[in-house]
Amino acid sequence: MRGRNYLVPFLLLLWALMAHAQQPTPPKTQLKVGDAAPEFTLRDTEGKEVKLSDFKGKKNVVLAFYVLAFTGG
Amino acid sequence: MDSFAANKRFAQDIAVTFPLLSDWKRDVVKAYGLLNEKTGYSARATFVVDKDGIIKHIEEGNTAIDPTGAYQACSVFDKKKPGN
Repeated sequence: MRGRNYLVPFLLLLWALMAHAQQPTPPKTQLKVGDAAPEFTLRDTEGKEVKLSDFKGKKNVVLAFYVLAFTGG
Repeated sequence: MDSFAANKRFAQDIAVTFPLLSDWKRDVVKAYGLLNEKTGYSARATFVVDKDGIIKHIEEGNTAIDPTGAYQACSVFDKKKPGN
């Protein structure tokens, strides 16, 4: 019976280690400070097209890639 | 990567004052080197781009969720203003 007491924590530890090992390495950007930011055109929440170049010569831009913000991912 | 509808609801919930854009086709995360091709998901990151379109600051990984780094990078622009 005593052996069974250790089995559950051991299995949990094994599962945790396997889960950790399977985590994909997050990609690292190839871009560097001083590079030109790649141009893009995307739609906002109203469906209006927004280009990065819309801000050129006018405003500094913070691009925050906040993936799966609403969907809890 | 989130849909327009999900973004719209999120924008309403947090009352954003900036454009909230959807990269549904993942073209932009790919161009910025953030897309994991195997999983189809992207890493979180923050880029600060100046008025000339040049990248001035990059924040990747877990720290990208915290806007402090980007905020500090933006303060560089203020220092460059004449008279400051």
